[in-house]
Formats: sequence, structure tokens, C-alpha cells
Amino acid sequence: MKISWKRILLIILATIIIASTVILLIRFAPEPPAREVESARKAISEAAGNKADTYSRKQYNQARVYYDSAMVNWKRENQKFIYFRNYDRVLSFARLSEKKATDAQQNSVTSSANLKSKLSEKLHSLKALERELNKLFDNYPLTEETRSRISKGRMLLEEGDIAFRKGNYLQANRKVTDAEYLLTESFENATENLKNYFKSYSQWKKWVDLTINESKKNNDYSIIIDKFSRKCYVYFSGRKKYEFDAELGKNWVGYKRVKGDKATPEGMYRITKKFDSRKTKYYKALLLNYPNTEDTARFRAEIARGTLPPNAKIGGLIEIHGNGGKGIDWTEGCVALTDREMDLVFKIARVGTPVTIVGSLAELDTVISK
Amino acid sequence: MKNKVLMGLAAIAMVAVLSSCGKVPQEKIDAANTAITAAQTAEAAVYVPAEFAAVQDSMKAIMAEVEVQNGKLFKNYKNVTVKLDQTLAAANQVAANAATKKEEVKKEVETLMTEIKAVIEENGKLVKKAPRGKEGAAVLEQIKTEMATIDASVTEAQGLYDKGAYMDADNKVKAAKERAVAINNELKEAIAKVRR
Repeated sequence: MKISWKRILLIILATIIIASTVILLIRFAPEPPAREVESARKAISEAAGNKADTYSRKQYNQARVYYDSAMVNWKRENQKFIYFRNYDRVLSFARLSEKKATDAQQNSVTSSANLKSKLSEKLHSLKALERELNKLFDNYPLTEETRSRISKGRMLLEEGDIAFRKGNYLQANRKVTDAEYLLTESFENATENLKNYFKSYSQWKKWVDLTINESKKNNDYSIIIDKFSRKCYVYFSGRKKYEFDAELGKNWVGYKRVKGDKATPEGMYRITKKFDSRKTKYYKALLLNYPNTEDTARFRAEIARGTLPPNAKIGGLIEIHGNGGKGIDWTEGCVALTDREMDLVFKIARVGTPVTIVGSLAELDTVISK
Repeated sequence: MKNKVLMGLAAIAMVAVLSSCGKVPQEKIDAANTAITAAQTAEAAVYVPAEFAAVQDSMKAIMAEVEVQNGKLFKNYKNVTVKLDQTLAAANQVAANAATKKEEVKKEVETLMTEIKAVIEENGKLVKKAPRGKEGAAVLEQIKTEMATIDASVTEAQGLYDKGAYMDADNKVKAAKERAVAINNELKEAIAKVRR
């Protein structure tokens, strides 16, 4: 059989037309924004590497949403016939995504650096506050609640410090902020309490001056108890002759208000009785005239105000006695000395010897600066 | 007749060429996605965050490459298939690494728990022996309060451990141990001072 030239030409022509169509399709088909999408993806990846998902979460999430939108639109356009595709929206979302990711990255770097610096300062200042709390209030009978808050604050500060060292600044910030609240509040409350206590300082000073003057005037002994420094001073003829450590009642801050409050009273007293070892279980004892007139007046006023119940008792039997040297405040409100020191005080004291008990001989500023 | 057959074959070949030379490797895509989800379930984002992010990024790159090929007249998923195999293997490795790391942290928490319980027990004994010290009862009261806070923190850490939140438990128990050791040193120092 013979193939006609006409048919061969027809086949060649058809092939050329099809090939040309393919070439034209490839040549003029819209180009997808693959490079822009890739740039957006890389920007998101870099942002995540710089913890933008943590420190610039909103912008980072927006970048991801834009990227997903670009991909959805790309997929949708690919499903259309090649000539009807339009990648404008894909391109637009890809560019938005890249911009947001870049912003998120920059923001994250800045935010984390700022947070790190802020946290470092805060940790430093809170550790200083913690040391200050130790220095001022280790010796001070804080309430159980305040102690507990200080303790929780310290634990949170430690947790914050660990998170900081691990580079988890957000977690560290949460812990440190809570620690700051607890420690600062406790410090302020305790300081306020201490300041209130020291409001009586001028009164204490007056009592101490009167006591020392009396010692000088009478050329005799007088005893001064400094509750804050836990000291017992013996004066003779207006001059300090002896100094001993003293132990007090557990709740030594403030006046003694009522029987059983374990507080050591504050005021100007005198020795009313001397008990040798046969008459006291605390080695030797010097009984004071507590309650004195001021104590009784204050107690009655409290009953009248209703701050103490009507059946409350003022208490008594406040002594300077032996059996001390335990190193803690353990008495029911008395002042305890070691037996050896008690021997000396017992020897020099007589009925009528003045005993003045004050909160502190030093002013608050001096106490704090110490 | 023969010419008609030839023409038909040429047309079919043309359509085949135009309609593409390959198909989207959907099974491999699904397998890689499943492996990434498994890595996520293994808490890869918590225990090996950088590795997990890298796998997620690879998958994104692959899906973009799929769309590039989808848009072409002559589709070729060969490169995509190779990358999918690599990503699947990487995702499985990340899941395994996350499990290993998680186990390491779990063991570390267990060790810390044992250590802190020993310190707490020792502190309990030391506080009884502790001299009342010149600072007096207030210091001891504070130490006892600190010890109660440490106990509470250890209980909290144990709760986190029981829930499988080992990383959080690790942070908490480390802080508690540092406090417990600080108190231990404070008590030992105070006892040593009295003996001197």
C-alpha cells in the first residue's frame, strides 16, 4: 500500500500544531510564586528558631496563617486549567507571611533580650531583698503567715532562677513576678510592723535616761534590758558595768497585754522580791512589780475598748531568773540569764533596784544599718 | 485503517504526556504526616524542640514542592518521593529521640526525688540537734517553715511526675533541692559552730 504525501503532510502538520500548543502553554502559563512561598517558609522557620512562637506569638501565628492561606490558594489555582490560573493571592499571602515572620523574629529577639535583661536585674534586686529580710527579721517574731509567704517567695525565686538559667524567660518571669509580690509584700509588712514598734523609741529613751540618772544620783545599781538586742545591762553610778545576753518570752515584740501572751513587758519596774534557789525552780529569781500603774491602766483601757475580753487577766510573776543560756526566747515573759550571770545580778540587786525593760536602746535606723 | 490506528496512538501518547508523567505520592505524604503526628504525641516539641521544628519545616518544603509539580504540565514527583522518605525517617528518629530524652528527664527527676528525700530526712534530724543559736527561736521557726514549703514543693513535683510532666517536675524538684541543701548547710554550720 502506498502512503499518500497528502496524509503524511497532515500528520506532520497535526504534530506541529500540538507541539506548538504545548510550547505555548508552557511559555505563557502563569508562573506560581514558588520562590516567594519558599522565602516565607524559611522566614517562619528562622522566626521559630529565634523563639518567635514564644516571645512574639501573635505575629508568628499570623505568619503561619498567611502561609497556610498561600498554600491553600496555590492548591486551588493548580486545580484550574493552566491558562485560567491566577497566583496573585498566593503571592500576596506569601509576601504577607514572610513580612510577619520577619517582624516576629525581630520582635522576638528584642523582646527576649529585654526580658532577659529585666529578669536579670529583678533577680539581683530580689536576692538583695531576700538578704535584707534575713538580716532584719531572722531575729524578729514574724507571724506564721508572713514566714510562710517569705518561704514561698524564696522557693519561687529559686524556681525563677533555674528557669532563667535554662533560658525559659517567660516561665522565669512568671515565677519571679510571684516571688516579687510575696517577698516585697512580706518585707513591707514586716518593716511597717518594725517601724510601728519603734514609735515608742522616744519613750524607751526617756525611761533609760531616767534609770541611768537614778543610778548616778543614788550611786547604786540599776538594770536595763534591751529586748531587740537581747541584752541585759547592769549600771552602777550611771556607768555601764556589766553586759549579759538575755532570753525573753517567745512573743517579745511590744507590751505585755494579757496573761499567757508570752510577751516580756516594757516599762520601768523595780525588784520587789528576791528568791534564792530554794524558792524558785529557775535557779535564782528577782521578782518585778509587773503590772505597774501604766500596765494596769493600759490593760483596763483595752478591756473597755473591747480589744481584750472582759474576763482577761493581766498576769504577773515577771522575773529576772536563771536557767538561761538556751539561746532561744523560751520564757513565759520573764528575762532569763545564765546561772553564773544570775549569781552576779542576784548579789548586787536588792529590793527596790530599778529594772527598765525597753524595745531597743538603738534607734531604728541604727538597727537597720547594722 | 493503519493510519487511523497510528493517529489514535499518537493522540493517546500526547494526552498521556500532557496529563502528566507522575502522580502525587499521597500514601507517602500521609505516612510522613502520621510520623510527624506520632512525634508530636511523643512530646517532641517539649523534649527535642529544634529537631521537631526541623522535621515540620521539611514537610512544609515538600508540600510546596508538590504544588510546584502539580502546576506543571510534565509532573515529576521523584524528588518529592525521595524527600518524603527522608522526612518519614527523620520524623521517626525525632519521635525516638523525644522518647529517649523524656526517659532521661524522668530518670533525672527520680534521682533528684531520692536525693531530696534524703536531704529532707537529714534536715529533720539536724533541726532537732541544732543549737538554738544566738538568733533564737525566730530562725528555727523560719527554718521549719522553709522545710514545710520544701515538702509542699516536693509533693507538687511528685504530682507533676505522676502526670508525666517530667520537665516541669524537674524544674520544681531542682529548686526544692537547692533550698533543702541551703538549709542543710545552714544547720550543719550552726551545729559545727557550737562544737568548736
